[in-house]
This record gives sequence, C-alpha cells and structure tokens, in this order.
Amino acid sequence: MLTEIKNVKVIGMAAAVSPEWDSIKEMADEDEVTIKRFIKKTGVSGRYSASPKQTTADFCYAAAEKLIAEKSIDKNQIGILIFVTQTSDYRIPATACVLQHRLDLSNECICFDINLGCSGFVYGLNIVSCLLANTGTKYGLLLAGDTSAREHSNLRKQKEGRSGTWLFGDSGTATLLEKEDGNSLRFLSNTDGRRYKAIISPYGGWRNPDSPDGRTHYAVMDDIAVFNFATEEAPNQLNEYMGMTGTTPENYDCLVLHQANLMIMKRVAKKTAFPEEKMLVSMNLFGNTSSASIPISLVDKYGDTEDPNKINALCCGFGVGLSWATVAFEIATSGILPLVHTDEYFKDGYNLDDQVK
Amino acid sequence: MTDQEKIAMLEEIWELDEGTLATDTVLADVDEYDSMAKLSLIVLMDDEFGVKLTGDVIKGFKTVSDILKLMVIA
Repeated sequence: MLTEIKNVKVIGMAAAVSPEWDSIKEMADEDEVTIKRFIKKTGVSGRYSASPKQTTADFCYAAAEKLIAEKSIDKNQIGILIFVTQTSDYRIPATACVLQHRLDLSNECICFDINLGCSGFVYGLNIVSCLLANTGTKYGLLLAGDTSAREHSNLRKQKEGRSGTWLFGDSGTATLLEKEDGNSLRFLSNTDGRRYKAIISPYGGWRNPDSPDGRTHYAVMDDIAVFNFATEEAPNQLNEYMGMTGTTPENYDCLVLHQANLMIMKRVAKKTAFPEEKMLVSMNLFGNTSSASIPISLVDKYGDTEDPNKINALCCGFGVGLSWATVAFEIATSGILPLVHTDEYFKDGYNLDDQVK
Repeated sequence: MTDQEKIAMLEEIWELDEGTLATDTVLADVDEYDSMAKLSLIVLMDDEFGVKLTGDVIKGFKTVSDILKLMVIA
C-alpha cells in the first residue's frame, strides 16, 4: 500500500552503541576456516554488544539526548515519541512511556511501543509522520533498536543456528521529524503474516509461556525461507516504489537496506539496478541491528561528514513478520550526528517492596 | 555441461579444493555444507540455471547428484 504524508520532514538522526567492539575472530570458538567463510558471506566481522544491564532503551535514550541537544530542540515541542523494538524494558508498561520520563518530555506527548524488527524503522517513520501531519505538535521522535546480540547469546549451539549467535549487534537510534510545509514522505508497506514462523521467538509470551528446555528468550530463523523472501520481496517493492514515484537509482545518493547479510544485500542491489557503490554497508562493524540498521548505516556513512550537503536516501527494511517497507527521504548530512558510545544504563531502583507499598 | 563442470561450480561456491566432490558424495558428510553454503547454492541456481530453490527442495538433496539433476540450462 502506498501512503503519502504531506508537510513532514526528517531533520536529524543519531545512533548509540556500547564502547566495546568485539571481533568475531576473538569471540568465536570455531575453526578459522568457518569464521573466514562466515565473515565473507555475511559481511559481519564484529559488533557492539550491550553490557549485561544495558537495554535498547538506554541506547535510544543516549541517541535522543544527543540529537535534542545538538539540534537545540525545545523538548516541550516534541509531541510524539514512538519506540520500535522487540527488546523492551518491561512486559508492561510500554517503554516509550518510561523514555518520555527519562527524556523529560511534556505530558502533552503521544507515546507507545511498536513490536517490529527489520522493517520497523520504515514502519515507525510512517507512523510518526502520520501523527505529526495530523496533530498540532512541531516535532516527532522515532526511537528504534534492539539488543539481539544479548538475545542470541542464549541461542543453542548447533550447526544450522550458529550464524545467529554472531550475526546480530546491539544498538539504539533516534530520528527527529519536523512539520514542514511542502515536503512530503511516501511509503510503500507490505506484510505477509502467512510466513510468521520464518522468524519467531516462540516462547515466553502468552501462547507458549514455557519452553520445553526452560529457556525462553531466543529466536529461531528459517535461513532459507528468509533469504528467498528478502531477495524476492525487497527488490520487487523497491522497483515498484521507483515505478510509482517515477524515480531511478540515479535520483538517489544511496540505497540503505536493512543490514540482513551481505549476500542478500548484493542481490537486492543487483535486482534493482543499483550500483553497489551506492549501497551502504555498515554490518561489517555493527552486525545485523534489526530496526536500527537503516539509521545506523546513515550515521556510519555520513555522521562524520565535514562537507555538509543534502542527500536523498532510498531505504528498505524487511524481515520478521514477515514485514517489509520502503521510503525515500532527503536529509542534510549536518543533521546526521557522529556515533554515540555509552555504557550508562537506567537504574530504575525497582524491587519487590515497591509492589506492596 | 558435463557433471565435472557442474561439480567444479559447486566446489567453487563452497570454496572446496578441486576433486573434493563426486556425484555420489553424501552432502551430510560435507562439513562445509551448512546454511551459508545452501544460500550460495540458491544464488548459483538462480543466476546460472534460472531455478528457484525452496527449503523443501534443498532438504530433499541427499547426494551431489541430486543437485546436478537440477543444474540444467533452460
């Protein structure tokens, strides 16, 4: 479905990770040949992972504070905060509410969480844009990220599932939107829930509260089904988007794909006739960062730019759901901040005594 | 295309030494035949032979010759 949202603009972006970068060569206990093949095929040579007490919300908080400060935004004018994640702080309440408190935003603020992964940045941008266009507020904040490395550190070691333990990285991002007359954003969004089992964390929810082995926090992925999905549906949607908007790869400065793995990304670029040098690759450093992968790729490429200009980015996220979505937007590179490193976490001070008071 | 040429293609994408595979090689015995190797196979079959492999078809491969049968230029 194509959605056009008028009078909104993406004006800023930031991403945060932990201070420590782990090389796969050092953390993997596999033989050298296996590791070499993994790095070559996936494109991942290492990643940042959260410390045991850090959550996605901590990274998003650090990115958002930096963005708000650098852009000199009056916090009272931020009326929307959407948090896209699959690794929320609590089962309830929505982490967006806690982030509103931590960021000290006004009570005149719409806050909620969205449970989406690799397509989540584009879906989140769609939702923030829609809300921004239809409310009186000036700014909307999209926070997106996951701590999938933390989640996958629990994955069983097995031949088929091995890649998952090294593939993912932890991070959080913040993207700022502003109302601006004349600018519009166009989105193309799809879902195929028939394939919901292709990527699933089946235990620990209300459907299957307990897992047979007592460990609930891991996801399983059907690698082949996901590969076939991504290399078919993502290029189809991108080509449809370019057809509907009357654009070609020449109209864009960069193609920003969800950083799934390098083999998938190269095929998507090929099938959409994008020259590979226009395709951003950040997963060598960050791994697959789920809903953060598109903004983190832009931060990686343009965050330290000394020669400011305006870029037109074509972005496509695809994955768990199965869900996929495409958007294009212009952004001044001066609005894309350098990577933020943080080892801080939210000390909620929660203990059982709070329940009985 | 001969079986030898097709086997050479498989050895190349899986980064195996020449002569590692034969038509009767059992795939389960090939250490390198993991999920990444299967993705490389999907790409090869699509690009070179126009064949789209699904997970079920791949699960059905027992020996190298099962793959060779599908390596036919349409």
